[in-house]
This record gives sequence, structure tokens and C-alpha cells, in this order.
Amino acid sequence: MCPAASYSRSVRRVSLHGRRPPRVYYKSLLAILALLAVSLARPTGGGAQIELTVYAAMVKGPASAPVTIIEFSDYQ
Amino acid sequence: MKEYDGRVRLVFKDRPLPMHTLARGAHEAARCAGAAGKYWAYHDLLFEAQPAFRRDDLLRYATELGLDTADFTRCLDERRYAAQVEADVVQAQALGINGTPTFLINGRKVVGGLPLEELRAIVEDALKARR
Repeated sequence: MCPAASYSRSVRRVSLHGRRPPRVYYKSLLAILALLAVSLARPTGGGAQIELTVYAAMVKGPASAPVTIIEFSDYQ
Repeated sequence: MKEYDGRVRLVFKDRPLPMHTLARGAHEAARCAGAAGKYWAYHDLLFEAQPAFRRDDLLRYATELGLDTADFTRCLDERRYAAQVEADVVQAQALGINGTPTFLINGRKVVGGLPLEELRAIVEDALKARR
């Protein structure tokens, strides 16, 4: 293969990419926006609510108390 | 707790740390004692006796408290409360609690064993905020 032919093919490829129909970009943009919307709608770790179970025998004080102390502890 | 009678509620949650190999059994045993109405008495005994938490120790504490030994032994050997202890561990991990003790005082996280005065001040702040 001579260098001139090779050059010519290369130019043609670039030129084909340059003529890609615009709708392809719109689709990519829409996909990125959709991903962004999903990630924003998903609750983050810090804001997530965690349900704590309470074993009645392990509680002191009335449920109506204005202050609740939850103690996570290790006997050892 | 007596000082804040009616104004503070204390909820104890199990957070046996992985490096404390005997802790999980102790937490399960305390729940067995709880089922027999002696949770807090057993809890206090465990803190006094740590780290003596081998099976024989746990059974002896139950006997000292006058618990039905056969029932308690069955509860401990069946690991009747293993799932509940594990549930507490999972909840702690979800909250990012990896050290003990960790307190949540009206949702405010306080890590480590604080001097009593410091803890009291935080409780007073929480009480003031609710007035």
C-alpha cells in the first residue's frame, strides 16, 4: 500500500465522523440527563432513614420522655 | 437515669465488636435474661464481670440472679437471640457506628465514653431544645 492511498482513507474516515447525524448527539445527551436525574432522585446514605428495632426489655424510661438516648455498646 | 426520671428514655442496643470474640455470646445471654425479666440486672453483672464471658460464666451469672437455669441454658445453647443481636449490629453498621459506646441523643451522635458531666450537658441541651 502506498502512503498516498493510506492518507486518503484516513481523511475519509474523519470526514464520515464529522457528518454523523445530529440526532445521535441528542440521544447521548438524553441518556446522560436521564442518568443524572436517577442519581439525584436516589436518596444518599446520609439522608436515608434507618429503622431501629427496640427490644422492650432493653429500655428504661417512658416512651413519652422528651429525650431518647440510644446506646450502642459492647459488653466486652 | 434516676436524675432524669420520666424525662429521659434509654434504649440499649447490642454492638459486639468483631475482635471481642466472647462478646456476642454475652449479648445473646443478656437477651435470654431479658426474656426472664432480668435484663438490666444481667447487663450490670456483665459490665462488672467483663471479660469473663465463657459459657460457664454466663450460666453462673444467670444462677446468681436466680434465673431458671434449665431455661436459660436452653436459650443460650439454642442461640435464640442470635438473629436479634445480629440485627442490632446491622443497624449500627448502617448508621456508621463502628466503635463503642456510641450514643444517639435525640438523633445526635456522640461517640466514645464521655465524662459524666459532658454527657449530662448534652442531655440538658437536648431537654432545653424540647422545651
